[in-house]
Amino acid sequence: MDDLRVLGVICILGITCYAMRAGGYVLAASMRDDGIAARFLRLAPGNLFIAFIVGGCLSGGLAGLVGTMVALVTMAITAREWAALGAGFGAALAASAIGL
Amino acid sequence: MTAAGFRRGLVAALPFLLSNGAAGLVMGLTYKGLGLGAEHAILFSLLVYSATAQAITLSMWAHPLPVVAMVVACIATNSRYLLMGAHLRQLFGGLAPRKMLPTLFLLADASWLMTNSDADRNGPDAGYLLGSSIPMAIGWVGGTALAYAAPLAANEPLRLAAALLPTMFIATLLPSQWKNVRSLWPWLTSAVAALLVARFVDPSWSMLIGGGCGTLVSMMERSDG
Repeated sequence: MDDLRVLGVICILGITCYAMRAGGYVLAASMRDDGIAARFLRLAPGNLFIAFIVGGCLSGGLAGLVGTMVALVTMAITAREWAALGAGFGAALAASAIGL
Repeated sequence: MTAAGFRRGLVAALPFLLSNGAAGLVMGLTYKGLGLGAEHAILFSLLVYSATAQAITLSMWAHPLPVVAMVVACIATNSRYLLMGAHLRQLFGGLAPRKMLPTLFLLADASWLMTNSDADRNGPDAGYLLGSSIPMAIGWVGGTALAYAAPLAANEPLRLAAALLPTMFIATLLPSQWKNVRSLWPWLTSAVAALLVARFVDPSWSMLIGGGCGTLVSMMERSDG
């Protein structure tokens, strides 16, 4: 395939992705602080956290679910991210090794 | 945008050197298998910098390249960034665009989620967003480059690290988002909606639609507390 054509497509896709990243920030300049949209945005983060985790657990299968739960519980007990990630990843590896 | 916030974000996001590195490596190995040159693969990961957009455009790779379909796929899979960007305006609206707009080049799901969690604890700081974005970008682009530089093949621990570490990391931030018992119904709604969308529509829409449904339930409360 022509190198220049591939390069052109990569640049177009790169510009598209940046437009999505910056677009919301730029468009939100015209939004009222006390409007419904602003309240929606204030309340959105926690709910997006949950949806992100559910999506990740699904793509990771049962081993992913086990690892995420172990990470969450370890974090709640130790309050140390490194410990939570280590325990979660170890649990996911073990679950995967036994065929979950 | 403070140096302290930048350092805090940079250190907090160091685990992403590993997870994004593994994911970038898997992506790089796939590009390599497709016959894409190292320069193009690295540029792809640097400019597009989106696992979902890269995976979906990769699945559409053909001769000739379906550019319009690829652009539409990028818009669809990355539409959640519109919501994230609009939310960042609420946090950092007072900051000069010349500082924020370049930072947004590196915006990722995880850096946005981490920035929100940090804003709840320490107040809004765009330095945190930039600092947390850097290890993620280095991991992703570096992993893609490593696929070409080293004689590696994708294996199970690598795939697991790439797929699971971001989810686990965000799960460790979850307690910071819990407000009170009223968080329960919106969170359950988000989880169920995300599950249904991922199962019956498309996994790339699960975060946006699931989170959106949960937020609508949150809005039924009289106050935001």
